[in-house]
Amino acid sequence: MTVIAASEIHGLATTGDKDLKAALSRYLSNPPRRIDRLIFQALLGGALIKADIRSDCGLYLASHHPARPTMIALLEAVCVQRKQPKPFEFVNSVSNAAGFHVAQQLGLEGPNLFIGAGAKVWSQLSNLARLDLQDGVVSQALLLVVDERGDFCVRGVLLEGRDVPAGDSFEALTAGVEVQRLELVATF
Amino acid sequence: MTPVYLQRGALHCALGDDLATASRALREGQRAPGREFVLHDVQEPRTYLNVPANEESLDARLNRLLGETLGADRGRLDDCLLIVASTALDIVELETLAAERGGFVPNDSTSLDRLAGQLRERWGFAEAYTLNTACTSAANGLLYGARQLAAGPLARVLVLAFETPSAVAMQGFGALNLLSPSGRYRPFHPERDGLVLGETYCAALLGLEPGSAPLARLLGGFSACDTTSLTTTREDGSHIDWVMRKALASAGRDAGDIALIKLHGTATHANDHAETNGMLSLYPERMPALCVLKPWLGHTLGACGLSETLLLMHALQQGPLPGLDYATEASLPLSGQPLQLADDALVLANFFGFGGNNASLVLQGCGGEQ
Repeated sequence: MTVIAASEIHGLATTGDKDLKAALSRYLSNPPRRIDRLIFQALLGGALIKADIRSDCGLYLASHHPARPTMIALLEAVCVQRKQPKPFEFVNSVSNAAGFHVAQQLGLEGPNLFIGAGAKVWSQLSNLARLDLQDGVVSQALLLVVDERGDFCVRGVLLEGRDVPAGDSFEALTAGVEVQRLELVATF
Repeated sequence: MTPVYLQRGALHCALGDDLATASRALREGQRAPGREFVLHDVQEPRTYLNVPANEESLDARLNRLLGETLGADRGRLDDCLLIVASTALDIVELETLAAERGGFVPNDSTSLDRLAGQLRERWGFAEAYTLNTACTSAANGLLYGARQLAAGPLARVLVLAFETPSAVAMQGFGALNLLSPSGRYRPFHPERDGLVLGETYCAALLGLEPGSAPLARLLGGFSACDTTSLTTTREDGSHIDWVMRKALASAGRDAGDIALIKLHGTATHANDHAETNGMLSLYPERMPALCVLKPWLGHTLGACGLSETLLLMHALQQGPLPGLDYATEASLPLSGQPLQLADDALVLANFFGFGGNNASLVLQGCGGEQ
């Protein structure tokens, strides 16, 4: 197994969705509409390395939190204003909505898993991917982790082959691999 | 795939507060009384299937469920992986907070890993993570948990799945016009009018050995993403057909080996239409026996992969499944007569969800191993 590509995107907590959308449009010709922050971030993580990704690829995505703006909109609509949520906001709140859009935009046909990111997120994603790679379910695995506990960071690793390398961190997995990097600044 | 046993299981659902009670209610054809709630804006009533007399906190409920599943002889859990499969997680707590404070701010948001981490620390599990793939969450929990078990080194996997009565879920599905106005939950009925949501808490302990009273053997399964639409799968059923075939292949079985198919059957127009087409593709001539379980449990969303599996496999061990009262009107040949299967019969179980996630599991009864 080889790590054949990796991505790392940094942005500020104040980096708005318009900035994310503008950045994404540099990589995707027809990005989806009415998507939320987590979806933008996950798409960017995959889009930077899309040239190396085949359709025979599984997606293993993790995030520490749901998209907070979406959660706030839903909870305030339903629990405070006692209104029905906007349908697109409710659908975007499904945790694997981000995975769906990544799979659709990159043409992935394999499994599509979403886990809550904790301290062992990279080893957990690697273990899940290893099962599918070793069983021949897919020949590639795209691991993505979205972390927005303050400013945000999105990291992606594309694996290929049946022997998934040991590595319980992004740094360990991508040692010796050229990482595609993007720094986003905020517009006010 | 290496077969894995569902050694033990526990289920709290609308049919009862334990698996045996729920299973008996199913076999006797009893339906749970629904609770009415009102959709905001349109002020129309809809039905929800709650667990009976739920006065417990989520923490207390999950602790009780884990205790029931693991038993007194559980020993140390440092050889056991915990997989939490739920779309709701702590959403009811956040809903209460938002209502009390009159708003919700970013710092109120909790980590998606919080509950799994708390349970890992409290119970001493070797490792824990939260798996959320919408309505296939628990099915994927079983499938990937079983494969992680077979891959080693952990000796046990506990899949914990639950869905709480979330106002966001109720109002959200209402906003999508997917909830049944009639409250009559009738998958594959020509006049079906949508789904009825249900509350559940369930868990299963997986092991490579059968244990003393196994509920089922998981022989194989497959899960993949249909990127046609975020909320519906391909109308022609081709992705469902493909997933079912891949699941059968992973178990080393053919479509003709299957004695019973547990359909996903949400009773939404799109799901039932696509699943019907998928079934017709896999079985163009004669289908095996078919059943649906959501009329009894409600749609338990991310937990349905486990709640329905436990209920079905336990009920099959105890006696025949009841016939469906509208079987003669259904668009698929659901059984109207009581259905008795051999102890070791093979069951294919379908679970589909938002985000394009389609999953099928191949299970085998363990009635003769008790």
